[in-house]
Amino acid sequence: MGTSTNWFYQGVLNSYSQIFFSDNRGFSYILFVVSFLDVMAGLLGLLSVLVTTITAYGVGLSHHSIQKGYYGFNSLLVGLGIGMYYSPSLQLLFLVIIAAIFTLFLSVALEGVIGKYYLPHLSLPFVFGLWMLMLSTREFYALSLHERWIFTLNDLYVIGGPYLVNIYQWWNEISIPVSVRAYFLSLGAILFQTSVFSGVLIAIGLLVYSRIAFTLSILGFYGAWFFYLLIGAELSAVGYSYVGFNYILTAIAVGGFFIIPGLASYFWVLLVVPMVAIVAISLSSVLYIVQLPVYALPFNVVVLIFLYVLQFRVRNTESMSTYFVQRNSPERNFYAYISYKQRFAEHSEIPLSLPFFGEWVVTQGHNGEYTHKSDWKHAWDFEIADNDGLTYKNKGDYPEDYYCYNKSIIAPADGVIEDIVNDIPENIIGTRNLEHNWGNTVVIKHSDTLYTKLCHLKKDSIKLKIGDKVRQGEILGLCGNSGNSPVPHLHFQVQTTPFIGSKTISYPLSTYRRQRGNQLELIEVGIPEKGDKVSDIQVNDIIKKGFLLVPGRVFEFKVNGLGPDHVRWEVKVDSALNTYIECETTDSKVFVETGSAIIYLVHFEGDRNSLLYHFYLSSYKVCFGFDSGQILHDEFPVNQVFTQANLLLQDFIAPFYLFKKATFKLKYPELNGKISPNELVLNSEICAHSFGREKPVIHATTTLDIHGIKSIEIESSIGRVTAICER
Amino acid sequence: MDANTSKRLAFERPVIKKINAGMPAKFGHQVRHEPISNINGVSIPSLLKDYGSPLFVFSEKKIRQTYQNAYRAFSTRYPKVLFAWSYKTNYLDSICRIFHQEGAWAEVVSGFEYEKALNNGVPGDQIIFNGPDKSIADLQRAVENQSLIHIDHFDELYDIIEISETSTKRPKVAIRVNMDTGIYPAWDRFGFNYENGEAWEALNRIMHAKQLELVGLHTHIGTYIMSTEPYKVATTKLTELTLGLLEKFDHSIQYIDIGGGFASKNTLKGGYYPGTDTTPEFEEYADAISSVLLKAKFRNNNLPLLILETGRALIDDAGYLAGTVLATKRLASGQRATILDAGVNLMFTSFWYDHDIRPVSKVTDQTEETIFFGPLCMNIDVIRKNMMFPLLKKGDHYVVQRVGAYNNTQWLQFITYRPNVILIDKKDEVHLIRNKETLDTFKSMEVVPEFLKSKG
Repeated sequence: MGTSTNWFYQGVLNSYSQIFFSDNRGFSYILFVVSFLDVMAGLLGLLSVLVTTITAYGVGLSHHSIQKGYYGFNSLLVGLGIGMYYSPSLQLLFLVIIAAIFTLFLSVALEGVIGKYYLPHLSLPFVFGLWMLMLSTREFYALSLHERWIFTLNDLYVIGGPYLVNIYQWWNEISIPVSVRAYFLSLGAILFQTSVFSGVLIAIGLLVYSRIAFTLSILGFYGAWFFYLLIGAELSAVGYSYVGFNYILTAIAVGGFFIIPGLASYFWVLLVVPMVAIVAISLSSVLYIVQLPVYALPFNVVVLIFLYVLQFRVRNTESMSTYFVQRNSPERNFYAYISYKQRFAEHSEIPLSLPFFGEWVVTQGHNGEYTHKSDWKHAWDFEIADNDGLTYKNKGDYPEDYYCYNKSIIAPADGVIEDIVNDIPENIIGTRNLEHNWGNTVVIKHSDTLYTKLCHLKKDSIKLKIGDKVRQGEILGLCGNSGNSPVPHLHFQVQTTPFIGSKTISYPLSTYRRQRGNQLELIEVGIPEKGDKVSDIQVNDIIKKGFLLVPGRVFEFKVNGLGPDHVRWEVKVDSALNTYIECETTDSKVFVETGSAIIYLVHFEGDRNSLLYHFYLSSYKVCFGFDSGQILHDEFPVNQVFTQANLLLQDFIAPFYLFKKATFKLKYPELNGKISPNELVLNSEICAHSFGREKPVIHATTTLDIHGIKSIEIESSIGRVTAICER
Repeated sequence: MDANTSKRLAFERPVIKKINAGMPAKFGHQVRHEPISNINGVSIPSLLKDYGSPLFVFSEKKIRQTYQNAYRAFSTRYPKVLFAWSYKTNYLDSICRIFHQEGAWAEVVSGFEYEKALNNGVPGDQIIFNGPDKSIADLQRAVENQSLIHIDHFDELYDIIEISETSTKRPKVAIRVNMDTGIYPAWDRFGFNYENGEAWEALNRIMHAKQLELVGLHTHIGTYIMSTEPYKVATTKLTELTLGLLEKFDHSIQYIDIGGGFASKNTLKGGYYPGTDTTPEFEEYADAISSVLLKAKFRNNNLPLLILETGRALIDDAGYLAGTVLATKRLASGQRATILDAGVNLMFTSFWYDHDIRPVSKVTDQTEETIFFGPLCMNIDVIRKNMMFPLLKKGDHYVVQRVGAYNNTQWLQFITYRPNVILIDKKDEVHLIRNKETLDTFKSMEVVPEFLKSKG
């Protein structure tokens, strides 16, 4: 019950902030207050939202969309619009209810129609909805136009007496530049307000919500201001100011909300805003015939066209990227994007593992000196070497002397056998068969454009046939010495076409252990180079048991020093198949990505005074296997570690320069020559960096044993927290 | 320097040698034993001077190298491999710890070895407890520590079931299986027999005793197996049991333990060719075992962990015994005899190996058939019979290769004290890892009743 009312409450509140694409609580309150500057309109707006939310729930629409206010904000605008226009009456009340439901239907219908093109419905339902009403209500004689605010001072006197009238006078006498005044009026106009005061309130709200959105609102507005000057009109003129918000909303949408903010997006704002102006002026003259205002139509038209155009890009451009997951704020989208790019940009869609067991050495890498040249330069040759670096025993005169000879070659990923050659005789050591260059070969199809090829296998060792399905790790054949191969080795390459002899592509291998020189490292994704000794991650059962986050798994902790005494987490999957851990007690979530033998915590939302938040920080990235004393590094999205106040300056300039950084360091235990003990302690340190100065923020110790996570201890500015896992 | 002051040639004793005028033997006339003057670059005479004679010497480098070779041989063929160090082969703490550092678990066969493993920092659940001798107290401790108990006989199984009824822990057990792998003698005194169905009987009882967790299957087909074929047979039979368990009880075991028995490079008595030429490499054993496992139809490609308990082949090569010649004499038969300061008390393995004895410094190219006696006043104290060897004299040093396995566990405190044991580490620094015995060693253990203490 508690959560359902909470959820309803959030849906209503978010309907206010969603006008500016936000789900910021503070912004919602401000907008709520602003909408009540005209009490009647405010009430009807609220009524609209309530009706819409209840109807959406009753009809059975997506909880998530309702909660985020995606349906409510259009109805709110329609309600406010009608409320501003007509005098209160019972008939009006009824009309508002009908209008709210109608707007909801429009929202859902548009969601279905343009949602197919991955486009948001923005405020189109509001524009269409209010138009319909404006056109039809001309025939509704029971309604009368209201007269409030025509005699402003009288109305103010009624509400607040002489005191309020004085404030109003004083306010009007403050000399603010015309453009600033027009900016505030434009902001206020979004909620049908006509005062600078409401514009100021909304501007403050916008600033609270997002520094980037605030900056963009100014950029958009002044972009339009100067465009009007250029064409010889004035934006401040009556009749223009109520279209002014179109520029502001366009700037926020294009500059930072639907596009990851950056120099390019800011630049595009300056190009798109004049388009909005042209659309606004032209549409106004058309709609003048039926005596309808354009409302937010110019913004909707231009933004939707712009977003649609971007979808046709075939080249991946670094700038003007769209978000991966909409986090409802330009800052959050930006920081999440930067972090995602940093962590996963190089990760491949189909991860390829090493195609063998145990540790092998790269004897020829990409752009190799022997045969990996031109079209075939992105390939690897692997062999096995002993401690002295030799790949053979005795004198190496026979294939059997080579350590890699006869070793199993396995599938690097799931796939289907595309082609097989299995009858090329083995070479005598030192000789090469240039007639059948690739020797005995398996080509595996992993997707329509991803194939791997494994060559020089042993004659007749391939026991599969074309069309067989193979799983990662399944044995394909044995390492041999056929084709252009003077000594036994495995040739491994990735290609986009299915042929033996296809040209190679550069494609990385995922999660392996690499020894380069004396340095032993865990590589999440990389291209092994000549001389690298590579092997699979040897999974440590204790770590795996502790961190394997399969849906349905429940953790219960007794917590000391932070939030509730007892928390219960459950691993769940949402409709988009994202795995997350949910703590119902603190209403917090952590989203999880699981790789092969590694987990990444990718996003936290909810209460930062929760154990789950600290778990997100302390277990940001955990590999299931490790070598003694190994250290993993990573970086957080800065907004997940710093407070909002701390980021104030950074937010403003984030699209251009980042001077803050939050780093993650996970240290595995030093085994000191002991075998892996049955209790492991992982130490993680989270550091905040500003202008290169490093300050440790949190130190966490996670203890694991054979039953999983045993305890988590955290030391930070909030003191010492201990959480004991109850099992 | 002129010719007069240059070093004089050492005196060589005259020797009478029969000349074969006809065809030379298959391997030619001469037997040469290249002297071994140092171990990892540390001179043997200096070691003997510092630590006394005789002296056991271990090479850390060699141990790690051998282990890594073995591990590579298996891990490049099979994805889940684990070695468990066989304590009985050599339970000097330093030696065990080197193997544990390399990642090996502990395989013990008695309460004493179990305690040693714990003392070496091995967590209880990484100790494999084998052997027929496990007391109730031993079993209770193993259950409590969640060690892997490899059951040897039904009486032990009943003991464990009884313990499990009162313990809060669920015992982790495996059975040892003995079988016919085509070798002679087939070891049938340990574990449960495969062919007569006893193994299944044991498995059934374990599976029906709900308190026990069957985690693995174990076999140990014998020792010093010179062929890889028996391992294929053994692995096949264990695989069949594994798949049978899956079918009958829907139970997946976690590991298959193939035991040890890999031969070292020593030459067995009676062997025609030297061991260095005839024993299979790790690669060959690994190939035999892993090929069977990889071909088996395990469900979902869910391969069991492969555990190996090889001891001898991992440590034999890394151990040396250096010492000094006490005397030479000619026996009544006319045969030459050399008396060494280490006998069967220290080299128990000389009962079954023709040990590779080498001079420490180059003496002469001339060899003579000689018998090597130990220092004990016992007729059986023969280190090696009839070996063509250069002529040593009193005070000369010798070194015996490949004595790392079993000698430091089976050596006898007989007649004389046991000597120092040293380890040459990776940086060629020398560490004493076991002190030689002194009279105090024995005084500390013996108790003389009061009435025997006074003089008179």
